Amino acid sequence: MNLFRSEEHIDRWLAGRDPGVTISTTTLSELAHAWWGDRIAPAWTPHSREQNQAILTKLGLVGRFWQLA
Amino acid sequence: MDDADVALRNMTYRLFADSGRAPTAEAVASAIGATVDDVLHGWARLHDAHALVLESGGRHIRMANPFSAVPTAHRVRANDRWWYANCAWDAFGVCAALHADGTVETSCADCGDSITIEVRNEQPDDPSILFHCLVPAYQWWDDIVFT
Repeated sequence: MNLFRSEEHIDRWLAGRDPGVTISTTTLSELAHAWWGDRIAPAWTPHSREQNQAILTKLGLVGRFWQLA
Repeated sequence: MDDADVALRNMTYRLFADSGRAPTAEAVASAIGATVDDVLHGWARLHDAHALVLESGGRHIRMANPFSAVPTAHRVRANDRWWYANCAWDAFGVCAALHADGTVETSCADCGDSITIEVRNEQPDDPSILFHCLVPAYQWWDDIVFT
């Protein structure tokens, strides 16, 4: 899970491997804040898989690649 | 994960966030009034539940996601302290977990050029930078360090 200057840099880094998925850092930051925002809350309780899947879906991160199981 | 393990996990995270480094089992045991063995056994259960990641040997924390206990290529300045994150996603997660603005410092995984992104009010200041996730979500925990 890395950052890149551009699509061209990603293609070069992949070096022929099958690509994963590329998103903007704007979407990444939204994802991070939805996913990790409660991590040091005193009353934290575990997220269910369904809760985490809903976070991905809300951001349009859908399809087999983003399925947690 | 039962209530005792949730409490252990939450104290572990609290100590990590308060000190900026992964707590030892001894520190957590002292904080919750338990034995070191109790903490280590609890950490093992939390590791199995993917609530944190232990180093091999099981005595030390490797990841309390999004925080990394070891230096990585993803560094974050937030709340007047430097933090290490496990990956680019977690770097933004450090700001999220701390509810703080921050500065993400990393490099392009291809060319090695430095990348610095300011996160203000949950928004990155350079949306031209791209994030690539190579491993599908259903395989993330097959090898979380690689992921």
